[in-house]
Amino acid sequence: MNSKRSHEGEFLLDHRNSPGIPDAVGIPWGLPPGAGRGLFEGPSYTCSHCQFIVVLNPKRNRERAWCRGCDHYLCDSCGAERALTGKCKTYKQTIDEILTAESRRHT
Amino acid sequence: MARYSATTSPITTGAGQADTTALTSNTYIGILGGTSTMRLNISEVYAGGEATAASAPQILVFARNSTIATTPAAGGTRNAATDAASTAPGTLATVYGSAATGPQRSSTLHLLHLSFNAYGGIVRWQARQGEEISMVGNAATGGDSTLSPYTGNTSGNISAHVLYELV
Repeated sequence: MNSKRSHEGEFLLDHRNSPGIPDAVGIPWGLPPGAGRGLFEGPSYTCSHCQFIVVLNPKRNRERAWCRGCDHYLCDSCGAERALTGKCKTYKQTIDEILTAESRRHT
Repeated sequence: MARYSATTSPITTGAGQADTTALTSNTYIGILGGTSTMRLNISEVYAGGEATAASAPQILVFARNSTIATTPAAGGTRNAATDAASTAPGTLATVYGSAATGPQRSSTLHLLHLSFNAYGGIVRWQARQGEEISMVGNAATGGDSTLSPYTGNTSGNISAHVLYELV
């Protein structure tokens, strides 16, 4: 049986032998506070609508966007769009459309 | 089908570049689909720092390109099958590190942010099976992607690899 966590990838940031990066560099690029020091290993997930990789902040309290259409977590940007439009279009559907158009072009 | 490792020899990342500007050769590693229907699944992106000066924060972005590279060339990159016994498909993806006109990173289609310090740091992302980053075709925006330094990057040497499967 699949769980939501069964979709998670792994993100590793190893600064055990490095001065690391300050939060001023890491946070704007999606890293949790403090992740730029020492060893950070955390889960990630792939937004099913745009395929952006989200590194999970273990201290985040706000809920993650979830799409009931594709039964998958979304990034915040796609989550906001989904909330506004109610539409679900996965990147795999986009690929299918590209391949279908390409095959029609050759027939 | 066949799984490949796209690697790059140490590259000096420079000061980084903004989105939608032609990337400077030998500061990035790019993957371009081989045909208009080729599909690639990217399962791992890794970068290891090799800077010799203290503190060289890297702001690396793996992103789709809104303009593909013109006349891409290998530069310091390599493309190797991970299974020595695999039979190579008829057409392979193009792994490149330089181009006559560099690719332009999309401003909206960033896929993965890999910030780390090239002075002794390493960063790696691995996908769960079925959750890989997909590429399709050999045109913008789905068919060309790069790992490249973004504006504000501190120049330093890095090596990197991208593991992908040719579906």
